[in-house]
Amino acid sequence: MGLVKLFIKNRCPRCPHAKQIGKELKAAGFKVQEYDVETPEGLAEASFYSVQATPTFIIEDLQENMLADFRGVVPSVQQIQNLLCPTAGRSN
Amino acid sequence: MGALVELRERQDIGEECHETTDLALFVRTSDDDLAGWDRQKIVEAMVREAGVSAHVADEISREVQHVIRDSKIKFVTAPLIRELVNAKLIERGFEEARKRHTRLGVPLYDVDQLILHPNKENANVPHGPEATNLTLAEGIKKEYALLKVFSPEVGDAHMRGDIHLHDLGFIDRPYCSGQSLEYIKRFGLSLPNSLSNAKPAKQPEVLLAHMVKFAAALQSHFAGAIGWDAVNLFFAPYLEGRSDREVHQLAQMMVYEFSQQAVARGGQAIFTDINLYWEVPRHFENVPAIGPGGQFTGKTYGEYEKEAQRFVWALFDVYKEGDGTGRPFFFPKPLVHITEKFFRTEGSQDFLLHICDVASEKGTTYFVFDRGETAKVSECCRLSFKLNENDLQDAQQPWKMRFCALQNVTINLPRLGYRSGGDDTALFQNLRSMMELAVKAHLEKKAFIESLLALGESGPLALLTMAKDGSPYLRMHRASYLIGMVGLNELVKIQTGEELNQSKHALKYGLKVISYMNLLCKEFSERYQMHFVLEQTPAESTAYRFAKLDLRDFPDKATGTVKGSIPFGQIYYTNSTCLPVGSRENPIERVQTEGLFHPLIEAGSITHIWLGEARPSKESLANFVIKVFRQTQNDQIAFSPEFTNCLKCGRTVRGLRNSCPHCGSEEVDGITRITGYFTKISSWNKGKLGELRDRNRNRGYFSNN
Repeated sequence: MGLVKLFIKNRCPRCPHAKQIGKELKAAGFKVQEYDVETPEGLAEASFYSVQATPTFIIEDLQENMLADFRGVVPSVQQIQNLLCPTAGRSN
Repeated sequence: MGALVELRERQDIGEECHETTDLALFVRTSDDDLAGWDRQKIVEAMVREAGVSAHVADEISREVQHVIRDSKIKFVTAPLIRELVNAKLIERGFEEARKRHTRLGVPLYDVDQLILHPNKENANVPHGPEATNLTLAEGIKKEYALLKVFSPEVGDAHMRGDIHLHDLGFIDRPYCSGQSLEYIKRFGLSLPNSLSNAKPAKQPEVLLAHMVKFAAALQSHFAGAIGWDAVNLFFAPYLEGRSDREVHQLAQMMVYEFSQQAVARGGQAIFTDINLYWEVPRHFENVPAIGPGGQFTGKTYGEYEKEAQRFVWALFDVYKEGDGTGRPFFFPKPLVHITEKFFRTEGSQDFLLHICDVASEKGTTYFVFDRGETAKVSECCRLSFKLNENDLQDAQQPWKMRFCALQNVTINLPRLGYRSGGDDTALFQNLRSMMELAVKAHLEKKAFIESLLALGESGPLALLTMAKDGSPYLRMHRASYLIGMVGLNELVKIQTGEELNQSKHALKYGLKVISYMNLLCKEFSERYQMHFVLEQTPAESTAYRFAKLDLRDFPDKATGTVKGSIPFGQIYYTNSTCLPVGSRENPIERVQTEGLFHPLIEAGSITHIWLGEARPSKESLANFVIKVFRQTQNDQIAFSPEFTNCLKCGRTVRGLRNSCPHCGSEEVDGITRITGYFTKISSWNKGKLGELRDRNRNRGYFSNN
């Protein structure tokens, strides 16, 4: 398992969908941190990852190494699950 | 001075005449004469200037007259009388009246020192009579600004060192500006109060002459830099049919004309930036070009790419040669824009190697990165105006593209840390308060400049009110208001115990501080309908001033925080959001990490790469520049080698040395970048000398020539 960082803001057309994906990931047991880039904490974190579009998903492993990023686009729950638990959902 | 300098013998008041005779005093006035004692003039001055009642003024004047009579003084000066009157106003509790009655001036000792010794607040001002005039005038205008233009709350915060109000000595001017050559190409050099007016230039040499004179006129109306957009492109229509030799000659004239202005005029060099492009910027591609005589040529600028390229290549040939003794040119600073289109334009790789060659040899090149849709005009040490939708519409009529920052106010970040006692909530509350104070300072300066502009053609800023294209030259509604910062690195150390480059936590803390400032700028912009933006303050003297004041006022906390050498007084704070100058990470890591802050600082940032004696190959610098463009968010970089110039034999060698390797003379001067420009080290202030000692010169990183 790892960590999903989700960057959103108000008046962003794709953000509601991104937040919904975030909720589904949480429900599936993933750790999701949501950052509003219109707050100092959110903007600082976005700057650290050079996030320039919302929504953005940054996927990290437990050691905070970036595994993947989706900038300005909304990935599916399945895409993120595949990144964080590559073996999940596969039959033996 | 008011009426006190106009004292004359009065014959019409019996008692006064008697008293005058009794006193038998003459008053030294600043009108170069001796005037007889006249108490009534004191009364009139108090009523007119200080606003006290005639009755109170009469009483005070009599008391002052008694003091003077009892002192048996042989002669009095107008300033002495004024100070005696001020003392009486204070005794009566008329503090505001005393303030209005203040005399601005300079002690004899200070004038003596100023005439004899260089002023090192600004390394760009050579020592000489004209420079002394500048310093004296600045001194009085600075006092005027703090007493009259800014409120006591703002003025006191500056005096304490909570904030720095830049260029107070130039209070009656906006801060800096960026312009288009198209204005003088289209309208000629026809300025208010000019003794002669010139029609639009027909020859490139004449256009250059107009450009230099207009820059000088603008310099006397702005406190700081004068930047020019797309200079090589806008010269291009004048260069058709000219040989390469003629183009080289023109390039040489341009560089020498701007770099020698300080010698010619005395005072401060014109801090000139020329923005240059290899490609034709997209927003100018289809714009009708203006050529000789101010006439449209029938072509668009997109059709002048080759002429523009010839000129910019020639400019860098000149920069590579250096001046007559091989020194780098200090001005005009060449800012080359690196864009996606740059790389798609034929010949860009050769040109990149050419400008990297100059960067390695002389350090002169500035690399400005415009990624994606961004377009900007850069100037000063790092200031840039990002072009918004309105600006890009103006680009269809490029003479409209004139930009201005009205003022710069810098916040002393480490002091906020000292005051907050390690408490984050308190820190961010204090930061908000200080930003609000900076906004207040901007509002006060804006109101003052507007009052000057309202005087129109008869006012001191007539040049900025000329409206040859229907709008005043200074477009106040498009002005920016800069808020700068000094010492983020030290603030982070106070709050987290680590410097910016020592941990991810410290770096993120620094980003949070600047993010907060960025968001506050947006909030204030909306509230006041003004464009507040963050800028990396160049802080040539501010980084020293803040450190010095903090050592005085917060000795326990500041002693372990300021950089440099306390015993030698060579102390400073790290500039703006930069990493410590001595930290050892490799240059690409520095550029990458410092670049994380740059998108938050919308009015401009730069990362310096100190080279010391190294002379990297042009190929390794070119690869570095491409990497910076592709892999970082950094706004602008410059490579800074060091040189020694022998004052005896005139030769220039690489590196900082104590003596000349050619003639052995110890009369040498070092040359390198102080903040955003090259200058002689002998003119640097103590803080910058401390920083110079600490700089990491990146030895061994780049492959050498």
